[in-house]
Amino acid sequence: MKDNENKRYKHASIFGPMRHFKYIFKKPVTHPFKIIFTRKNASYLNDNAIIKNKKRLDSAPRTAPDNLRGFHTNDWEVCIGCGTCADICPTDAIRMVERADLKDEAGKLQQRPVIDYGRCCFCALCVDTCTTESLKMSKEYIYASTDPDQFLLMPEKTWQGEKVEQGYVKTEESDLLDLKRIPMEHIEPDERKKSFIEVVRGYSKEYARQEAARCVECGICTSSCPVQMHIPDYIKAIWEDDIEGGLRQIYETNPLPGVCGRVCTHNCETACAIAVRGEAIAIRWLKRYIIDSAPDDMYDKIFAEPVTEVIDAKIAIAGSGPSSLSAAYYLRALGYTVDVFEEKDRPGGVASYGAPQYRIPDYAVEKDINFIKKIGVNIKTNTRVGTDITLDELQKKYDAVFLGTGFFKARMLNIPGADHKDVIGAMDFLPLARDLARGHLKLDEMNVLPSAVVVGGGDVAFDVARNLTRIQIMKYGKANVLLTSLESRDILPASLDEFVEGGEEAVKMELGFGPQEIMIKNGKVKGLKVWKCLSVFDEAGRFNPKFDETQEQVFEADQVYLSIGQAPDYDYIPESMKDKVIIERGKIKANEVGQVAGQEWLFVGGDIFRGPDIITGVADGHRAAQGIDEFLYKKSKKKEQSEYYKELREAIHFNTPVLAMKPKRK
Amino acid sequence: MTNSMTNVEFVQNLVKSNVNVLQEHITDQYQVHFVVEQDQVHYILNILKNAGWIQMSYLSAIDWPEENKFELVYIVFNWEKPVYVQIRTKIDRENPVMNSILPIYPGSKYYERECHEFFGVKFPGNPDYEKQLILENWDDIPPMRKDFDPEAYSKRKFPQREYSETYIVQSEGKSKLAKMEARKQRAESLRGGKK
Ligand code: SF4
Ligand code: SF4
Ligand code: SF4
Repeated sequence: MKDNENKRYKHASIFGPMRHFKYIFKKPVTHPFKIIFTRKNASYLNDNAIIKNKKRLDSAPRTAPDNLRGFHTNDWEVCIGCGTCADICPTDAIRMVERADLKDEAGKLQQRPVIDYGRCCFCALCVDTCTTESLKMSKEYIYASTDPDQFLLMPEKTWQGEKVEQGYVKTEESDLLDLKRIPMEHIEPDERKKSFIEVVRGYSKEYARQEAARCVECGICTSSCPVQMHIPDYIKAIWEDDIEGGLRQIYETNPLPGVCGRVCTHNCETACAIAVRGEAIAIRWLKRYIIDSAPDDMYDKIFAEPVTEVIDAKIAIAGSGPSSLSAAYYLRALGYTVDVFEEKDRPGGVASYGAPQYRIPDYAVEKDINFIKKIGVNIKTNTRVGTDITLDELQKKYDAVFLGTGFFKARMLNIPGADHKDVIGAMDFLPLARDLARGHLKLDEMNVLPSAVVVGGGDVAFDVARNLTRIQIMKYGKANVLLTSLESRDILPASLDEFVEGGEEAVKMELGFGPQEIMIKNGKVKGLKVWKCLSVFDEAGRFNPKFDETQEQVFEADQVYLSIGQAPDYDYIPESMKDKVIIERGKIKANEVGQVAGQEWLFVGGDIFRGPDIITGVADGHRAAQGIDEFLYKKSKKKEQSEYYKELREAIHFNTPVLAMKPKRK
Repeated sequence: MTNSMTNVEFVQNLVKSNVNVLQEHITDQYQVHFVVEQDQVHYILNILKNAGWIQMSYLSAIDWPEENKFELVYIVFNWEKPVYVQIRTKIDRENPVMNSILPIYPGSKYYERECHEFFGVKFPGNPDYEKQLILENWDDIPPMRKDFDPEAYSKRKFPQREYSETYIVQSEGKSKLAKMEARKQRAESLRGGKK
């Protein structure tokens, strides 16, 4: 074999093979020097070199091999300023630079990366980790300057103002981000619909840490959170298994984390940087993980010193829903005496009487509320403001009053038959369902018949339908629930979770119909007559549904449940005050912190002020606490203050949330 | 060799019948790798070359600091039977020495120089292996070793520069990013439970 080889390749060199001669008359693959410049480089050389060569300017841009790791390009339209590229860079070449001229919007930060090409080693890790794939590498590799500052470049979509060819781009293999969420375990539909057992099981420690590891700690989510929770920080605490630290971080901005960890609208997840290309970090469930893993005695470490009355002033709070409890918590932490008045026999408002037990069980609500009580908030249940104690009395006895009475009245439909006793409003039904679930009511006390139509397309409509499914199964062994909404599937307001889980539990859906009449025969409800809904909003975007009368149908059922919105109940506002409080479309007008104009002792929050969800209520409560403190602190007598108290005061003010930006679904 | 044998099978036979293969991996029909003992590398490369793997395509190393080894990777190619064959071997990391393969593949001259420059592997038998190739006046440990600290190097050699271009646009008054930074510090101060 050796001989054979020597004969074929005399010089034993890779340049030896005869067949290479066939390339002698072929066009060479290497580019001659004269066309090595891009126009940009050519003009640079002409500006700086002694010998000016005009020809250079005609040079065609040369091509580098595919996948070359040349100078970066960054599409600013796509880049969200998350800074993940800067974090990963092994040579610390990337700095994030503020660009306040960029639009301040949800899901983005007003900064863009600048690369120091003195430092960059062209490893492309920044490209492989870029959350949005905006950052790429071009085929450009020539750049010269005598000024080191000229090597600090802020990559844009073009390179030096020219559109250039793409070099290195990341592939699925090289992508450093984990785009898939760690799956959350749910109780099987057939099992869960037989009782009010909580549907979502919650993460184990191992799964929580794996999910936490996906977060790039960019903080983009925080500005979409109504209370601006320390999201990346508590996720990092989970990763480092510091439940206590995470708990303290959570309580800085949210005293109802067990509730929010289960039923929050999670706008943060919609804004999450990972959601640009993958599945958002399960922020809500990670928060729940911290609360579920924190033993009761760990709560004692949230405040370094016991909370006491530092300020000699008293605040009354009407209602004990999320906004009220939040206001109570922060006011108490600031050192005030706080009394909460609740008409029902347990506090929590929507968390205890609106949201279903299978989403947010009582023990979780109680865990949150117990801590609020523990720091000294007095909650007086079975005490209705307006009847058991009047607003006038509160005004006299207290230095300030906060109203967080919520939207607890069902809105009804004005169609024939709607006044029948088997046409039931969501807000009349849900508290009963909750009382049944907690054993305060018996099954035969529930007016639930074997079949029902639920009207509405929001989360609350799904709550009604899914509660009904459970109660019907308990009562009759099977369920027959149909949900119908004006909105078609593509504009359904309910969250995806509800739609999917409701479907799994065999809630039937007929979407895109408008109710016209409750069909009644012999005094009994027989069904709901509907017309096909052609459009919900008019061209100006106003609610103005259009129907096709020729497409008429009747959905047969024994009962009709209406979940078409909730309304406030202002009976407790005395006549003498009615003209001093401005109510617009059901909501009370007030300044940013919820202080009612002309009634500086009166503050509002939650549904009756801003709406629309629990977490915005918590934010309202925090802002109102800030407002009430500003109103009372100076004029009240104070006890001596410890250093810790001063720090705490400062933190509560520092953390007062600003109005959040609403993210668009990606 | 029969016609029914694929090129990969052919290489597998060839290599396994001549040296003790510690590990093998078939990437696809054009790529295979074999891990062999250090003292068998020259022998098997010689056999491969005589069997048509005449082109030395690449030579480099992988650093395995936990094992205290460098893994040398030789990639050779056959134009008649298009399969890239990688011969891999692990060598001592403290005193990394590997005899040059220059007599077998003269084209390895520059690869060995490069490998020395980036990993510090010595190649006796190659008169030029210690000559500087790409890195100019390098004064740190070889940069592809995993214990090389690119950040420290970059800070030492390229001091931090302020981005002074006119297009830094800062918010007037309160900067949102500054507030974010302050919040982050506040949150960090609350940590310190069980780590
Ligand atoms: S290519 Fe590597 S060194 Fe250069 S900026 Fe990106 S991460 Fe940093
Ligand atoms: S990682 Fe990508 S999206 Fe994030 S700042 Fe860097 S370039 Fe922009
Ligand atoms: S949760 Fe998402 S947006 Fe928030 S810090 Fe983590 S990766 Fe960034």
